Amino acid sequence: MISRRRLLAASAGATLASPAIFGLNAVAQIRRGDELVVGIWGGAQERITRQHIVRPLEEKYGVKINYVLGGTPERRARAYQERGRPSFDLIYLNIFESRQAVRDGVTQAPAIDRVPNAKNLYESAKLGGYGVAFNPVTVVYDKRKGEVTSWKDLWKPEWKGRIAWPSYPGAQGTAALLMVAKLFGGSERAIDPGFAKIRELKPFAAIQGSQDQLYTMFDQGVADISIEFGSFTRSYAESRNPNIAIANPVEGQVIATNVACPTVGTKNQALVEAFIDLHLSEACQMQYARDIYYSPTVSGLNIPADLAPKLVLGADVNKLVDFDWDHVIAQQAAWTSRFNREIAG
Amino acid sequence: MALAVPATLWLLVAFAAPMAIVLLLAVQESPDPFAPISLMPSLAQFAAILGDSYYIETIASTILLGLGVTLAAATLGYPLALWLARLPAQWRPYAFAIVLIPLLTNVVVRSLGIVLLLAPDGLVNGLLSPLGLGRPQGWLFTHFAVGLALTQVFLPFMVLALYDSLVQADKRLDEAAASLGASRIRRFFAVTLPLSLPGLRAGLTIVFLLASTAYVSATILGGKKVWVAGMIVWQEALTNLNAPTAAAMAVIMLVWGIAFAVLAERVVRVLTPWLQKAGAKPFAFELPPELARRLVALGDAAGGIVARVLLGLAIFLLIFPLTLVVVQSFNDVPQASVAGFRAFTFKWYAAAFDASTYLRDARNSLELALISMLIALTLALPAAFALVRAEFPGKGAVAAFWMLPLALPHVAIAVGMLRLLQWFIAIPPFWGLVMVHVVVILPFCISMLRTSVLQLDRSLEEAASSLGATRGLVFVTTILPNLAPGLAVAGILAFLISFGEVTVTSFLTTARMQTLPVRIYAEASFSLEPTVHAISALTIVGTVALLAIVNRFVKLDRVWAR
Repeated sequence: MISRRRLLAASAGATLASPAIFGLNAVAQIRRGDELVVGIWGGAQERITRQHIVRPLEEKYGVKINYVLGGTPERRARAYQERGRPSFDLIYLNIFESRQAVRDGVTQAPAIDRVPNAKNLYESAKLGGYGVAFNPVTVVYDKRKGEVTSWKDLWKPEWKGRIAWPSYPGAQGTAALLMVAKLFGGSERAIDPGFAKIRELKPFAAIQGSQDQLYTMFDQGVADISIEFGSFTRSYAESRNPNIAIANPVEGQVIATNVACPTVGTKNQALVEAFIDLHLSEACQMQYARDIYYSPTVSGLNIPADLAPKLVLGADVNKLVDFDWDHVIAQQAAWTSRFNREIAG
Repeated sequence: MALAVPATLWLLVAFAAPMAIVLLLAVQESPDPFAPISLMPSLAQFAAILGDSYYIETIASTILLGLGVTLAAATLGYPLALWLARLPAQWRPYAFAIVLIPLLTNVVVRSLGIVLLLAPDGLVNGLLSPLGLGRPQGWLFTHFAVGLALTQVFLPFMVLALYDSLVQADKRLDEAAASLGASRIRRFFAVTLPLSLPGLRAGLTIVFLLASTAYVSATILGGKKVWVAGMIVWQEALTNLNAPTAAAMAVIMLVWGIAFAVLAERVVRVLTPWLQKAGAKPFAFELPPELARRLVALGDAAGGIVARVLLGLAIFLLIFPLTLVVVQSFNDVPQASVAGFRAFTFKWYAAAFDASTYLRDARNSLELALISMLIALTLALPAAFALVRAEFPGKGAVAAFWMLPLALPHVAIAVGMLRLLQWFIAIPPFWGLVMVHVVVILPFCISMLRTSVLQLDRSLEEAASSLGATRGLVFVTTILPNLAPGLAVAGILAFLISFGEVTVTSFLTTARMQTLPVRIYAEASFSLEPTVHAISALTIVGTVALLAIVNRFVKLDRVWAR
């Protein structure tokens, strides 16, 4: 049992820390000894968030923050299974998973007024939760073999048989399919032109299922061009393969976002919001940008001149190509089966 | 009959529920994740799968791939197991390391090793190009690539299963055949092979079931061009949140898994009349004498060379990824996927020793694997005796039930467990994981120990009893020492499978209980760093050291060499 005095002191502290929660019931206060469960990716993202979010929160409030590491499919499957009685307080999902999860009553829509840093979020980062990083998808290619200024360059003869097409479903494969449909007279509601034009590109050198797999293909000379996250590919090009270029096509790059999604039914509402607030802080956003070239989802940061060209900032954010993800996710099963048969088969 | 109770009870508690849920999900009509479970069975999912040529082709190619891998593992496994069994005892632990190292290396890393081997400028293409068989794309993203990777991954299981049988075989039979003038090739086919059939049955069953349900290597080596049934289960269950279709596919996989196990069982039973009850008809087939003579002559001429080549291939296949592991663990590159060597660094080892993360997870994994192994062996030993020596109604059904967790793809077990999460979370996290890990490794233990019990020399026990030993004393002084190799092999296997299990565990880890492979898998889902290689290298060094120490103090050769 927590003594009344301690509870009062803690809630006073919490109230001072974030005036926005004033007026919420006691359950929504941060108390010493609270435990938060966060489902997040491993690797660099784990390191950065531990440094900028977990440590400060644990020191400040005397709470314990536990990570469950993994990819989004496992987290999402668990959160759906536990809808309303979650073991996770916060899960990180991608752009289309997050919007669907809100619609399905698994995660909460963002409450911008309760998270101070959220008021600086770009509009496109306020859907399906709190966008914490933009990670756009674009064409990446070996510049010794040709030049890419448009998505349509994929159909040029120099790339024939040298394309590693991204597998569907997945952020890259989804972006590629939707973009092709859009370029050739279709849309997310008229996907046939997309499939038809992608079929024209066959035979593929490979179908790539992850960025690590793609970079191995580039290293080994299996393929010369693909569609991938610009951020990782830039790290790869700078450190391992200077021949690889990241295109900035005239039609724009396709939006992809990492989204922080508080679960419906979390017992630690205030702590979850404090966590997200720190994720949107300048220090954390800058570390993401510097270490892994993820673009910030909040405006008004001071980006150094050497870093700015490598990110998507300001007006460019509004140029990112967006789609009706609700519709896209509803079609996923049908498109998956088409992709397996028509493209990968 | 009582001997069969512990294993059955454990599986009823920990496995029957997820299994029942998978069966129930498979007969749902609606794929909606929030639809209430209907108790009116519908065959809609099965109709959809079996009425779709794409699914049928995937199922057929998965089964063929499984059979191919099983055959390759047997072909490469025999020379290696024979070599191990005939090695002087003091070298055996180090030779064992060759078999165990692949099992200790993370499956993602192993698959990356095979990628390197099959790349356009890789070794395989280099060897085949002069023969006009080179391919500009290399051999990646083909069924051959997936088959090779699966063979690499599952070969150790076959070797361990055969090793136990070969070590137990009576050496005097081979000597007798030699003294009667049988050449080496004839001795192999007339003496060694038949005597090792029970081990071969265990090996074939295990490898086929694992190879036909695997999906991680297939995903990496197939480049999403090669589809196996396990990938479809994963995709439907997780990406599309369509548990019913996934469950139906899992049930179909379960059916062919059981069919294969039963078939292997029947065939071996017919071929080993001396192990069956008195009155079993000996199995014999005669080749025309002229053909037989020529075959033997050919075998004698080429057998030795072929066996050496196969042995070399097997060792190379097992060890090759290791070199990659060691090189990458010192390589200063941002991602673990294969590239040239850039700069020497110790930073991945520094990261691996970062006490707050990997070490704690590694300790969890070690404790989990050790306890799960001990429990599984304790349950499996009486079960093996029940299968071999007891007669009770429904024995066949019980034996099949014990094998179910091996035939059901792990991802399907995970789907079943997901539905039970609410109850599962109430169990202390560690013991919850132990429950599930024992389920996963129990079939291996039963399968391996059954072979060992089958080959026990009953006359030794009778001799001990006639000299006045009680049943307990006979067990401790006669049975256990003779079972030692089998127990050791089953224990090692069980430990390693538990230590490396990701598929089910990744759904059940809670914030306070995470295992090392789940962490590695989590990193891989974002971007794999060479820390994985450093950890694998450390694990390998640790294992070899452990084997050496055990060998020094326990004098394995006393126990093992007979």
